[in-house]
Amino acid sequence: MTGSFLPILLTDVFGSFAMMILALLCLYKAKILRDLDTDNAVFLYLMWISTGFAVFAISRSFGHILKQFLILTGNPDAWHAISPYSGGVNTVSFMLVGLITLFFNQTWKINEKILSGRKSLEDAHIKLKDLNQTLEHQVIERTERLAGSEYKARRIFEHSLDTILVTDEAFNVSEINQAGVTLTGYERKDMLEKKMGIRDFLEKPLEWDRIQSLLEVHEHIVNEETDFLRPDRSMVRVLITGGVDYGAFGCGKSFHFIIKDINDKKQMEQQIAQADKLAALGELSAGVAHEINNPLGIILGYTQLLLKEQSGFEEDLKTIEKHVKNCRDVVSDLLSFSRKGSTEMSRLDVTKVINDVIKFLSNHTDFRNVGIILNLSQKEALMVNGNEQELAQVLINLMINACHAVEKKGRIEISTEKSNDNRIFIEVKDNGTGIRKKHFSRIFDPFFTTKPVGQGTGLGLSVGYGIIRRHGGEITARNRKEKGAAFTISLPAALPADCTQTRAD
Amino acid sequence: MGLFFITRLNFFPVAAASGFMLLLPADALAIQLHLTSEGIITHQMGHIFFLVSMVALIFTLSGKGLDKQKGWRLIQYSAFFFILWNLDAVLGHFLDNQIQVIKLENISFSRMRMLVHNDSSILYWVYYILKLDHLLSVPAMLLFFMGLSVLVKEQQTISAKKESH
Repeated sequence: MTGSFLPILLTDVFGSFAMMILALLCLYKAKILRDLDTDNAVFLYLMWISTGFAVFAISRSFGHILKQFLILTGNPDAWHAISPYSGGVNTVSFMLVGLITLFFNQTWKINEKILSGRKSLEDAHIKLKDLNQTLEHQVIERTERLAGSEYKARRIFEHSLDTILVTDEAFNVSEINQAGVTLTGYERKDMLEKKMGIRDFLEKPLEWDRIQSLLEVHEHIVNEETDFLRPDRSMVRVLITGGVDYGAFGCGKSFHFIIKDINDKKQMEQQIAQADKLAALGELSAGVAHEINNPLGIILGYTQLLLKEQSGFEEDLKTIEKHVKNCRDVVSDLLSFSRKGSTEMSRLDVTKVINDVIKFLSNHTDFRNVGIILNLSQKEALMVNGNEQELAQVLINLMINACHAVEKKGRIEISTEKSNDNRIFIEVKDNGTGIRKKHFSRIFDPFFTTKPVGQGTGLGLSVGYGIIRRHGGEITARNRKEKGAAFTISLPAALPADCTQTRAD
Repeated sequence: MGLFFITRLNFFPVAAASGFMLLLPADALAIQLHLTSEGIITHQMGHIFFLVSMVALIFTLSGKGLDKQKGWRLIQYSAFFFILWNLDAVLGHFLDNQIQVIKLENISFSRMRMLVHNDSSILYWVYYILKLDHLLSVPAMLLFFMGLSVLVKEQQTISAKKESH
């Protein structure tokens, strides 16, 4: 049977070309897929299968075209020689495609595992990222808190009015705040460079042994009272509280101390005690003076009556009269010390009172070799409400005491000053022997004197104390840093005259 | 194991001997005697294997629900056409090479003579249609290409989304 071969030929030739082109395009597309996601096993599978198709299509199509060409050109023998190889390659290629196709399920499972693994990895990455961010935030937050805390601690350390001192294991200064520098009187640099220890600040270094032993036993000390000696030889009474610190990791032993300056508090307590004591003495003196004053008046009256008659005991009676008068003066002084009642007060210019006193004393033989320096405030008139005679008496007493302290050949300085809180200060300083520490608590006591017997009644300062207290003021004594003592009178300044007038109206 | 003993020195002699034996199959010193019909049987088995693998692919894709995606559905269609093509090829080879009931001879460029057993016209037309197998293989390849194109487009969209994130 014969028939048209053309449809078969055309389909075979064009179909073969189309197969080759399509197979190559498939390979190209599979390559794009593979490049889009190199970790995708399914895309790799499609790449393989496309390669298989390409090999299959090319080998088959080439074989078909060659076959038609050789047969139609009258070379069927040549085709018969080639056809086993072409057929063999063709068989292998589509078997290969079939084989690859059968692995689709496994490839898909592998890919799912890869995708699942990748998803887990991405989730873990996101979680890790979140954790990292959280950690970063926490680190920032804690760093800020730490910085804030450090700033607070640093401010407390730097600006504390009490001394904060950190020492190493050997009690040598490691850190000290500004209050500590002011309290100890040493430069911070010197303390650190010279490796000064806390012991070096104490007036009595041996006392440190006791404090140190307490620290070693209890690992802390509370309110241990002692004296610091400054480089200028002045002393400060302090309270030390401290403890041991083993550091954040327990390997850096150090000691922390808080040291309070209780000098002023101590002085105030002493002053209060002194005032209480003097007040009690004043009460007692007033009672005694009152009881003695009357008998003394009677004795003096009768003595003077007897002196008017010729009795032959005139000399004895005069001696009695003299000593009774002395007694009366003492009693008068005692009453002056303890007097509570008001005396006549008026507006006084302190400068004028001082000048009058100096003028009066300059004629005294004891003051001939004494240099009197006046350092009086010239800014304004220093007016106080007071009794001129009494204030003059106080100043005279202080000047006489100073004169004795300088042994009549030293220097006495009187200075005045008005403070911002409307108080007027009068200071009498000498360069004499100063006041012995043990006498400080007694110098204003009645009858206390360091002068030889017969040279002083011991009532001068106590009378002065009484007068100043009545004037609403205070009198204090101290030893100067230089040689000598200083007495300071503090009085409330008088209101301006027009104000006084207005009040009177 | 023997291949592991091929060194650089003896590679070329071994390759030359192998090539010689491959190019002259008549003189091959095979242990077993292979008959001439063995070739077509192997080829037919290859087609059946290819067909089975395509059937397996269709069911695998359906089993995984991938036929709901356009790209994979097109690949599934491609597999179906490859099945048809394999059936076509198997039947064609069965008729001409295996039982040899048909023999085709070219008379000229446009004419052919078909020697059909018992001059069966049905067999003639069946074989004639079977010879137009490219009408199945080309659509199969085209559908595979289209399927891949859709997958590429989808993957590009996914990648673009990922990048934009």
